[in-house]
Amino acid sequence: MSLVARTLGLASWASPARTSRRLALFALAEEGSMIDLRIAARLTSSPERAATYLAHAADEERHARMFGAHAREWAERAGLPGAAPEHADVEHLFERLGEERFVAFVHRGERRGRVQFEHYRDHFARRGEEKTAALFGAIVEDERRHEETSAALLVALAGPRASRVRVEVALWEAWRTWLRLGRALSGVVYALAMAVVYVLSAPLALAMRLRAPR
Amino acid sequence: MSAVLGVSAGYHDAAAALVIDGAIVAAVQEERLSRVKNDPSLPARAIAACLTMGGIEGRALDRVVFYEDPYAKLERVLVSGLRTFPRSLRHLSLALSSQLGDKLWVLDALARACGVPRARVHFVRHHESHAASAFFGAGVPRAAILTVDGVGEWTTTAIHLGEGSAIHMLESIEHPHSLGLFYAALTAYLGFEVNEGEQKVMGLAAFGRPTRREDLERVCRLERDGRFALATEYLAEHVGEIAFSPRLEALLGPARSPGAPWDLTRAADRAYADVAASLASLTEDAMLGLARRARSLTGADVLCLAGGVALNVVANARIAREAGFARVFVHPAPGDAGGALGAAILGAIALGDPRPAALTSAALGPAVDAARGMAVARALGLTVARVGDPAAAIAERLGRGEVVALASGRLEWGPRALGQRSLLADPTLPDTRDRINRAIKRREPFRPFAPSVLATQAASAFDDAPSELTRFMTTVCRVRDPALGAVTHEDGAARTHTVEGDGLLARVLEARLARGEKPIVLNTSLNGRGEPICAGAEDALGFLLSHPIDALYIEDVAIERGSR
Repeated sequence: MSLVARTLGLASWASPARTSRRLALFALAEEGSMIDLRIAARLTSSPERAATYLAHAADEERHARMFGAHAREWAERAGLPGAAPEHADVEHLFERLGEERFVAFVHRGERRGRVQFEHYRDHFARRGEEKTAALFGAIVEDERRHEETSAALLVALAGPRASRVRVEVALWEAWRTWLRLGRALSGVVYALAMAVVYVLSAPLALAMRLRAPR
Repeated sequence: MSAVLGVSAGYHDAAAALVIDGAIVAAVQEERLSRVKNDPSLPARAIAACLTMGGIEGRALDRVVFYEDPYAKLERVLVSGLRTFPRSLRHLSLALSSQLGDKLWVLDALARACGVPRARVHFVRHHESHAASAFFGAGVPRAAILTVDGVGEWTTTAIHLGEGSAIHMLESIEHPHSLGLFYAALTAYLGFEVNEGEQKVMGLAAFGRPTRREDLERVCRLERDGRFALATEYLAEHVGEIAFSPRLEALLGPARSPGAPWDLTRAADRAYADVAASLASLTEDAMLGLARRARSLTGADVLCLAGGVALNVVANARIAREAGFARVFVHPAPGDAGGALGAAILGAIALGDPRPAALTSAALGPAVDAARGMAVARALGLTVARVGDPAAAIAERLGRGEVVALASGRLEWGPRALGQRSLLADPTLPDTRDRINRAIKRREPFRPFAPSVLATQAASAFDDAPSELTRFMTTVCRVRDPALGAVTHEDGAARTHTVEGDGLLARVLEARLARGEKPIVLNTSLNGRGEPICAGAEDALGFLLSHPIDALYIEDVAIERGSR
C-alpha cells in the first residue's frame, strides 16, 4: 500500500463522522461486489464456479452488513441522526471482462482489500478501538481466503495464461482509472461551459419568467 | 403480422416488452437482470431476454417503440430550468448533461442495441404508453383511462377514452402540477428515498391521523371539478423533480432525517405518521376526483388506471368503491416499466395487428431453471432433493411455522410478487411478520405484508375479493378474519392477492385447504433489502445463503441450508 494511500486513508478516520462515512463506503463496496459475484454466478456456464461465486457473494453480503452496522455505531458516536440510503456501484464486470479476467479482477481486489484492511486493523488496534480493529481483523481473514481461492480458480480457468490475464486486468484497471480522471476533468470543463451558457441565456430566462404561465 | 418491441428507459424502472402478431409474448424489467434496483439504463439485458423468449433475433423486429418523446422531454427540462433560473443553476447543468449526453440519442441507441435500421425505431407519448398498457391490458372494448404519474414529457395527469383499438386523450394536467411529484416531495420530506419510499409512506399512513390535511391542501389544492393544482413554492422545482422547499418545512416542521430508525412510540415520529396519513387522505381524494371526472367526460362503465400513482392501492380501492365505475382495472406494472408494454402494443396496432387479449397473468418474464438450480445448490453443498409434491411439502412447512422461498415459472411483470418469486409464511402467526421484517427483509417495523388467497375462497376472509384488482395485487381489502394477524395492516386492511389457475402457489393454497388450514399465505417478494426481486435460480440461491429462511423451492427442487 503506497505511502500516499496510507496517509489519505488515515486522514479519513480522523473523526467519528468520517469513520462512519468511510465504513459506510466499505459497506457499499462490499455490496457492489456481492451483486457482481451473483451476476457472475448466473452467467458462468459451470455450476461449480457458480457455487464458488455465490459463496463468495454471501461473504461479501455479510461484510456489507458488518460494515453497515459498525458505520451506524460510529454515526451514533458522532451524533449523526442517520444517512440517506445509498446504492452500490455495480460494474457488471463479468459481462465486461469475461470470466477469466473477471476472476483475475476479483483476485486483485481481494488482495488489495486484505492489505488495506490489515493496515486499518493495526491502526485501530493502536488507537485502542478494539471493536473496529476486530471488525477489520475478521474481514481480513475472509479476504485472505478469497484471495487464495480466486488465485487457484484463475489458474484452473486460464492455465498457463493466468499471469498474462493478471497483467491484462492490471492494464484494464489503469485504463479505467485514466477514464475516471478524464470524466472528472470533463465535468469541470462542462461546468465552465455551462456557466457561459447561463450568462448567454439569462435574457431568455427573464422573458420566460415574465410571459410563461405558471 | 409483426414483431414489435417496446422499451422504457432513462428515468427509473427501465423495461422491454415484446408483442408478436398482436399477442403479448414477453415483458421484463431491466432491474431483475442487471440486479440494480430501479435500473434506468437502456435495458439491453431485458431486450435480449424478450427476444430469446420470443424466439426471434433483433433484426427481425418490424418496429421498436420507445415509450416517450425524448425531444419534448428535453424541451421541458430546458424550459423548466429557464423558468427557475438562476436557482436552477446546478440542477439544470446536471439535467442537460444527462439529456444531451445520452437521453436525446436514445432512439439511435435502441437501433444499435436491437440491430435494426434507425427508421424502424419510433416513439409514442409517455401518457399514451401508460394508457395503452392499461386499456389493452383490461381487454374491454370501451373504457375511461386515467394516467397519473410524476411527469412524462409535459403531462403529469391525463384522461383518455379507449375505444376498440384507438386511444384519444381528452384532457391533461401539465408539469409542474403533478400528484406524483407532490407525493415524491412528501416522501423525501418524510426521510424516504424517492421512487422507492412511496410504498413506505403508504404503510406509515395507517399509523397516523390526517391532522395536517388542511396544511397540505395549501400545497395541493383540489378543485371541485376533480382537477388539482400545486402551489409550487412549497416544492423545490429548481433542484429537480422530487424535492421540497424550505417553505414546506416552515409549514409542516423540519423534515425527517433520512435513515434515522423509526419509533412510533415517539411523539416526533407519530407527527410524521400524521403527515403521511394527511398525504394519503389528500392523494386518495385527488385520485377519486380525477376518476369521477374521467367518468363524467367519457360516460364509460370501465376505468383503466396506470402511471406510478396507480401503485397507491388504497386510492385504487376507494376508486373501485366510490367513483361509480362497474369495473376498474390497474395494469400490474403501472409505473414506467408498464409503458414499455403499452408502447409495444401501440406499435403493433399501428402496423395493423389486432389488439392483444386481456392480460390475465403477469408471468411474462424468463422462467426459472430448476435443473441449473439443483446443480448449483449441490455444488454449494446444500441439502437438495426433488420432491414429488412440492405444494404439499411447502404447505406442511408453512403449517410448522417455517418461512419458505418459492421460485416457480416465469418471472412476474411489475413490482409485486405474485407467486413466481415469493417468500411465503403462515398468515396467522403473529410473530411471523416481525421475524420477516426484522431478520429477513430488514425493513421498517410498520411495513405490512400481503396475503395470497385462493380466489374461490377469498370472499370468506376479505371484503371486495376476488376482483380484477386482487388478481394483480393492486388494491386493498378489509380483512374479515381476525386470525390473519400477520397480513392485516394497522388499518384493518390487506393488499390482497387472489390466486387462480394451477401454478405452484395455487397448489400450495389448495394443499393448505386439504390440510384443514386457511387457503391463505403471507406472500412477500423474494428479494433482500435494497435488491430487485430475484430472477433466476442463482439469485434465489444467493438469497437463501444470505437470509435466515427455512427452505427454498425451485419448482420441485427443495433446497435447505445444509453443511456448506
